This record gives sequence, structure tokens and C-alpha cells, in this order.
Amino acid sequence: MKQNRLPGCIATVVILGLGITSAPARAELFSWLPPSVQIHGFLSQGAIWTSENNFFGDSEDDISLNFRELGLNASWRPFPSLQFSSQVLSREAGNGDDGDLRIDYGFVDYAFIADMQNLWGLRAGRVLNPYGLYNDTRDVAFLRPSILLPESIYFDTTRTLSLSGDGLQLYGERRNDWGDLFFQFSAIQPRVDDPETEQELFAGDAPGDLQPDPSFLSRLIYEYDGGRVRLAASALSINVDYKPGEMDFFQEGRFRFNALYFSAQYNALNWSLTGEYALRNFRFRKFGPALPDNTSTGESFYIQGTYRFTPTLEGLIRYDVLYADRDDRDGSDFAAATGLPAHRRFARDFTLGLRWDVTRSLMLRAEYHNINGTGWLPFVDNPDILGTEQHWKLFSVLASYRF
Amino acid sequence: MLFLTCWSCLAAGVAVIAHPDVPVQTLSHNALRSIFGMRLRAWPDRQPTRVFVLGDQHPLHETFAKQYLSVFPQQLRRAWDRLVYSGTGQAPTEVDSEAAMRRAVASTPGAIGYLSSDQLSPGVSVIEVQP
Repeated sequence: MKQNRLPGCIATVVILGLGITSAPARAELFSWLPPSVQIHGFLSQGAIWTSENNFFGDSEDDISLNFRELGLNASWRPFPSLQFSSQVLSREAGNGDDGDLRIDYGFVDYAFIADMQNLWGLRAGRVLNPYGLYNDTRDVAFLRPSILLPESIYFDTTRTLSLSGDGLQLYGERRNDWGDLFFQFSAIQPRVDDPETEQELFAGDAPGDLQPDPSFLSRLIYEYDGGRVRLAASALSINVDYKPGEMDFFQEGRFRFNALYFSAQYNALNWSLTGEYALRNFRFRKFGPALPDNTSTGESFYIQGTYRFTPTLEGLIRYDVLYADRDDRDGSDFAAATGLPAHRRFARDFTLGLRWDVTRSLMLRAEYHNINGTGWLPFVDNPDILGTEQHWKLFSVLASYRF
Repeated sequence: MLFLTCWSCLAAGVAVIAHPDVPVQTLSHNALRSIFGMRLRAWPDRQPTRVFVLGDQHPLHETFAKQYLSVFPQQLRRAWDRLVYSGTGQAPTEVDSEAAMRRAVASTPGAIGYLSSDQLSPGVSVIEVQP
């Protein structure tokens, strides 16, 4: 899996090089660019220790440094109504991500209505999937509330599929005296090329291939008082086909994922309160006797508070809950049917975290998780499902730089 | 209401300024918020808006954000970061002093920014902000 490290290494050198130059020197470096071009980037390195189970590499009773994110993004706005944007990312996260360079998003954005109250436009290319409060910027440590996002909603195991897709996005914004509305609708082909997606879907390798099918996502955000109150509702339907390989035990099947998300956030000067709730419906169809048709609805929610002790020091407390099947919350039916551990079907994660913004560009973080269940534990880091433990702790520190 | 708002502007001592060719003399509170929230891409005459700000920690920036936009600097920063890192917008241009602000706004077509009331000069036009 770790065959070619060169692109990741080059990216590290480039971003570190840009990072250690001072802001004026960087402005000088980019001075040949027109003011309509902006370049930004980030680099994060995490360390993870777990008491049991592996998360992002060999972390069990050990320290895994296999958690690194490097991103470079550029935007160019030749005319006010036209913008090109792209972000290239190298991400290493245990066995799930090997650090290869890839395009997170890259699209052209044309605004066909733009006045003081309204902004309507169309984006085409690889567009970010609009759902929840954090998906759009999930790779940027500075914009996450914690080192790991609440996994019950922002699964790291299916990150590529969740993050973006190839297609079109219609967006609209309207500003009113009573608050602002933001609307997005995406019609995309989902990204199913990441091998981890298949492994997580089938709990192992399958001989065939996943094929994208037209998928749809939409989100409406209401913001009051410049973001003091943020409310969002998102709905999505992700469709994936399965094309069997040779001598396959699966037939030509279909996988469908429908979900609804409700999000609320209150931002005061020194504290914020955030909650999100999701209903997630999975359907497997026509895979044949090896995987009989089945439907299940999972449920996720978390509640999270942050408090700023000083302008640069912030604390976090969160309780995050995942049920893979709301009709089998303790996983006992699943365990009886499959012989696999019941704790694979839920996870309750209590998190405490601390964030220190050393400068505007440099951030340090530490975080502790006490977890009951393995519902979002990456399969690729724990292929021996029977060997996983129900109760485990995770401790992580992270340093992040951005410009 | 109008009286109160103007009084608070005077008390704060901050004025919204623009390049003289910006085709706008007055702006509503909401329009100002969408401009400094980096959501307004062009003026009514279609020339691009160019937004200039002082650093997050600068006292004048803090006063401006609270008085004119009713947000805290870190809320503004978070909104810009979301636009930049999701590729859906761009960040404002940061200048490091009021003198640099005055120079930048006076010399950049389509520019908007702010200054202490006693730092104004003929090179920039003052925008009246309505509640």
C-alpha cells in the first residue's frame, strides 16, 4: 500500500518551504500573480495512542505517527462572476490512506445572479458534498472542532466517498433582515475508487468493482446574526453499483445510502454549542445468496461544547453516539446472525480536548476519547474483527500549520 | 434608531471608506455585512469588490467588526476560512497599519476598507452606513 511515497514527500517539502517563509516574503514570492489569484495551504501531523484496537496505523499500546494531512489550494477569479478553485491533498491515515496526491475538489464556479441580496450560481467539476456543518472543510485541522471529527457523522472510513463527487452543483444565497439562507443541490457520480470504501462496505476485499451511479445531495443553511445561530438540514442519496469479478461470490448488486441530517450551532463570544443528528438508511440489493437483500437504518448524534479560556486557549467536551441499526442498538441480533462482535454495531465516544493557537498560523491540540463500541473503527486497521475490544481509549496530539 | 446608530459610529470613531470610483455613497448594514463577509463579488457597475482589513488583533478591526457588522473578529475569520478552504470564495487582503489601509484603498479601484475618523484623507471617499 505504501509503494510510492515520492509525491507526498515533494508536497511536504513544498508546503514546509512555503510555510517557513514569512508572510511578506510569501507575498513577494507570489507577487507575479494577479490579485485575483489566491494560494493557501496547510500541514498537520498527528500522533495517536490507543489502549485497545488500532486507529490510523499501529496505535494499540503504541504511538502511531501515521496521520498526516497536507493540502494546497488555489483559486482564481478572472471576472467577478467566474471562479476556478482546486485543492490538492496528500493524506496519510493508517492503512486507510497512503499519502498519494489526489484532487479533493476542482471546479469552475459561475454566478449568474449576483447582487446585494442574492447570489445564485453553478459549479461544475469535482464539487464538495454539501452535508452537515463540517464536511466541506473536514481536512483542515484549523476548521475542525477537534483532532477527529465526530465519527458517528463524519466517518473517516468512508472519507473520500463522503467528501466530494464529480458533477454539478447549483447554489443560491439570499440575505434578509431576519437572517441569511444558503442552499446547495448537487448531482454527482460518487467517488468509489478508494479501496477502503469497498473494504468498509463488505468488511473485506470483494473480487469485483464498485461503480458510481447518479447520486444527489442537498443542504439548506440558515444563519442568524452573522453566524451567531446556524441551523442546517441536509438530505442525500448515494448510489453505487457492484460489478462482479471472475468467480465472484456476489452478483451484480446495488448499494444505496440515504440520509437526513439536522444541525444546530450557537456561537457566543467565549463559547459555542453544537449538535447534529443523522438518520442513515442502507440498502443492499441483488448481491445474491452471499449477501441477501437487506435494509437497515442507523442513527447518529452528538452534542459538543467549546469554551475559550483565553483568546488562544480553547477547551472541548463532546458526547458522540452511533447506532448502525436503530432496531438493534446493542448489536445482539447482528451478533447472533453473523457470529461477529455485537460492539461492531454501536459506538459511544466521550471526548475532551484542548486547542492552543500559538500564532494565527500554528495550532497545537491534545485530545482524549473514552469509547464504548467499535462502530466506526476502521476495518483496514483491524482486519481481525474478532480480536477487537469493546472498551477502548484513544489519546491524540496534533500540530498544524497553515498559510 | 438612526440617531442612536450615528451616535455609536461617532463614539467608535470608525469610518467606512472606499476608492473614489466605487459607485456607492451609502450602504445598508446588511450590504456591509455581505461585503466584509466576502459574499459580494462586484459593485452595481460590475467592477470587482476589493476588500481590505487590518489584522484580527488590531483594535480598530475589532471595533469595526463589532460596531458595523455586529460580529466578533474570530467569527469573521471562521467565515472567511470556510470560503477559502472550500474553494467557494476568497479572503480579504490584510494590511498592517492604518497608513497602509489608506494607501491601499486610495490606489485600488473597487476597494473598500475602514479608518479611524481622524485618519481620513481626500484620497478616499467615506461611505455612509444605514441601519
